[in-house]
Amino acid sequence: MKELIKKLTETNSPSGRESNIREVILKELDGYIDGYEVDRLGNLVVWKRGKTDKKILLDAHMDEIGVVASYIDDKGFIRIEPVGGVSPYNLMGGRILFLDVGIKGVIGVEGETNSDLQKNLKELNFDKVFVDIGARTKEEAERLVPVGTFGVYSAEFVDLGKRLVSKAMDDRIGCAVLIEAIKRSDPYHTLYGTFSVQEEMGLVGASVVAFNINPEMAIALDVTAWSDTPKGYKRMSIELGKGPCIKIKDSASISDRRVVDKLRNIAEANNIPYQIEILIFGGTNAAALQRTSAGIVSGTLSIPCRYVHSPCEMIDIDDAENAVKLLNALVEDSSI
Amino acid sequence: MLTDLLERLSSIDGPSGYERDVIECMRKEAGMIPGVFTEVDILGNFIVRKEGKGKKIALFAHADEIGFVLTRREEGNYWRFSTIGGIDPKAIISQRLKIYTRDGDIAWGIVGMIEPHLQTDEGREKVPSLDDLFLDVVEGGERVNTGDIGVFSSKPFSLSEKYFTGKALDNRASCATLLYTLELLNNFTSKSDLFFVFNIREEDGSPGAKTSAYRLKPDLSIVLDVTHGDISIPSMPKIETGKGPALGVGPVIDYGYLEKLKNLADKISVSYQLEPINGRSGTDTDLIQITRGGIPTLLLSLPLRYMHTPYEVVNIRDIEETARLLSYFLARGGE
Amino acid sequence: MYLKELTELSGVSGYEKRVREFIKDKIKDRVSHIEEDVLGNLIARKEGKTDKRIMLCAHMDEVGFIVSNIEDDGKLCIMPLGGIDPKVVVGKRVTVGEKEIPGVIGYKAIHLQRGDVYTPPKMEEIRVDIGVTKKSDAEGKVRIGDFVAFSVESMVHGDWFSGKALDNRGGCSVLIDIINDDIELYYDTYFVFSVQEELGLRGAGISAEKINPDFSIVIDTTTSGDNPEFPSSRRSTELGKGPAITFAHSGYVIDERLFKWIINTAKGHNIPYQIKRRTAGGTDARRIATTLAGIPSAVISIPARYIHSPMSVLNLEDYNNTLRLISILLTKEVQL
Repeated sequence: MKELIKKLTETNSPSGRESNIREVILKELDGYIDGYEVDRLGNLVVWKRGKTDKKILLDAHMDEIGVVASYIDDKGFIRIEPVGGVSPYNLMGGRILFLDVGIKGVIGVEGETNSDLQKNLKELNFDKVFVDIGARTKEEAERLVPVGTFGVYSAEFVDLGKRLVSKAMDDRIGCAVLIEAIKRSDPYHTLYGTFSVQEEMGLVGASVVAFNINPEMAIALDVTAWSDTPKGYKRMSIELGKGPCIKIKDSASISDRRVVDKLRNIAEANNIPYQIEILIFGGTNAAALQRTSAGIVSGTLSIPCRYVHSPCEMIDIDDAENAVKLLNALVEDSSI
Repeated sequence: MLTDLLERLSSIDGPSGYERDVIECMRKEAGMIPGVFTEVDILGNFIVRKEGKGKKIALFAHADEIGFVLTRREEGNYWRFSTIGGIDPKAIISQRLKIYTRDGDIAWGIVGMIEPHLQTDEGREKVPSLDDLFLDVVEGGERVNTGDIGVFSSKPFSLSEKYFTGKALDNRASCATLLYTLELLNNFTSKSDLFFVFNIREEDGSPGAKTSAYRLKPDLSIVLDVTHGDISIPSMPKIETGKGPALGVGPVIDYGYLEKLKNLADKISVSYQLEPINGRSGTDTDLIQITRGGIPTLLLSLPLRYMHTPYEVVNIRDIEETARLLSYFLARGGE
Repeated sequence: MYLKELTELSGVSGYEKRVREFIKDKIKDRVSHIEEDVLGNLIARKEGKTDKRIMLCAHMDEVGFIVSNIEDDGKLCIMPLGGIDPKVVVGKRVTVGEKEIPGVIGYKAIHLQRGDVYTPPKMEEIRVDIGVTKKSDAEGKVRIGDFVAFSVESMVHGDWFSGKALDNRGGCSVLIDIINDDIELYYDTYFVFSVQEELGLRGAGISAEKINPDFSIVIDTTTSGDNPEFPSSRRSTELGKGPAITFAHSGYVIDERLFKWIINTAKGHNIPYQIKRRTAGGTDARRIATTLAGIPSAVISIPARYIHSPMSVLNLEDYNNTLRLISILLTKEVQL
């Protein structure tokens, strides 16, 4: 599964520009699904038939956070806007890769005096940073990175053994888990896998993806935060390597109790380690899925992830493997 | 007896997402009303239908309450926790919480506050946040787990002849109003097809209200919730307990139906107050109004003191008058 | 043990009647002499083998409030009697005055608080709501000068006990138990249930002056600090470690001979005990010690969490060990 994760995280697709990743995912699933469609917003919906017409929906969002070039100044320096929850602090010392053109740039900070610079660094925002692609003139920059070009973190995948680091683990790890679950399962009920768009912009794709599907249950696969680093969040108990997380609630939704109980029972019956998760901030596609039409019973299964929304997100491969096992068992179970 | 009903409803524990016991209670209460059908929909909303010819009118009262969830075990029997719904830390300090374990047992926890003389100077000047508070699980420490749910354990009681106090009157007082309205409607033949929805999870952003409105497709929807009573809010009229329901007025309310409701109230001498709403109301009304092709909505709020604390206070007469107004309105098919 | 009954009674400083009546009823047939003084202290006496005198003292009063004004809307203004942190009063049930009128202390809903959620309320803004809408209705039920006591149901949880007024109904209960246990007392023993300790140690001194004992032991309930927000280095006592023996507190260093006598007795009889580590706070011992020609005094306390709030916790093992220790001490002679 490591190869798959590497392939997915190294694909560059920020919110609104998901065609790259959609192609990669489709290729991976070739031969394993009974059909697919791409809906009006670009969500990729695949299905694998089971013995009944009842449907279980598993969702992972395909998009990653990024930036977009908004302005090019007289000297060829590029201003950017965030796409999704990018903090300017996460850009410091790193590189940005602009899509299609394949141009890399570095980040600079304004500061006409030393105290200005210090102040800007303390209260950093997108007005105070710029991207330098090494262009010598405005025209050169405009040619290489026209206004409206999207970009992502430029950060390679690193295999540390049990732990894997990359940009876009949020939510390519969810996509990887979903792809593996689809490949390995012989579903009892019909399995729908949705790879949704623009989650980072506010659960956009997930708000519509289930509209025509009407599943019995929907589970979002996403990353969650962590509390196991020095002076980590004192009120949360989420640790890498202790198993996928069955989410109770986050800021955007409360998981339907039936989903929580079901996941927990399946995990225990199959001896799969798991954690119970309460995230004191954040949200997942489950919030949007559950509000679809007349309502869908929804919840979230999360992969613990350190340094979320930075270029170096870290997950534990065992958590991903156990998530696949859990979903496998869920999907092959006859009860809903 | 209305106070008995309020006591029963306030005593049930059902924070957002965990309304099973409340829905059971509603089912029992509705079971005593003749001529209605009941059902529980996909997400768990409880719906009582009183069939009739005419407009389809759906009434909503959310049945969930605020609560707590255990998030992390500390040394000994101490736990960190988070809230379900917005709760003032000041209202949580020095309270005893009732915790439901995974197996349905009860455990007890105290949210403790150390004495003033042990506090530092800067500690004294500040109310601790949820990050600073902790739960001392004095009973059942071995049985609780991350994810277990808790509620305030305050017992409801009659504060005086006119006032009732207890937890979760937001929004069980409105649930009581709806049940009472159903009872009063026995005396009428209804000119409308009625759906009384006791919906879940309002404190979590109203997925229950939106989805049930979507399914029912009513011609008119009436939301019953609570509002801040007996407190001065700048630029707002003071909504008082004992002066009848507060009728919402503003873009989120259907003006036509509001006029009809006001005229009826005047006719049958039900006093009411007007509550201006500039934009969203913060209740189920907001999502219902923009569901499907749009649904005309009304909002009736019970004035309530000390919202989201363990001893909320309502005036019994307000519940009676609201139910009376509603029963006439519904019997006349929303005219 | 009368913890449940004693802690559920209303006995605010200056208004100890109900507690006094309860205690009197429980001990009057077991003592040779019983009387009340002008302030309301209850003094009982049991003879011993010698006619030297020991005074045991436990204060009956709890922190609470006094009705200071009735507003036009029927709400009651209150002032604290004793040290109450305004942070603990919100959302509590209370009992007012001789007629025991129920009330609640409410507060502005969180939705209406702007930047001041974390600002502690001032006592001047706190109001007791007894469910009336105008002053005249309130005046029929309560009066300025009435006491306001927290109204909390106590609970036993196995080895743990939670409720209000553990400071110092715990000490009162221990004294009642000693009286009823019919111990072979060495000294002529005076049991003083004192008043107004929370208002500045006002009651015990006058009893000491009347009795003029050779020495005294104050039995109190004291603060712990054993919780995750409080570093171990700054804790005062810990629950489950036995009665706390004080070496010094505000305004007095405990008589060294008494201190050693107590420790040695505990050691000799294998009774778990701890030394109280912090010296903040005071007890009647100071007042007693500085009476007449001086009365050497000691303090033995039951550790409790969250004292001076309406919800405290103690460990019943600590209660039992405190009772055992004092019972044994009373059979022994001390060299002074």
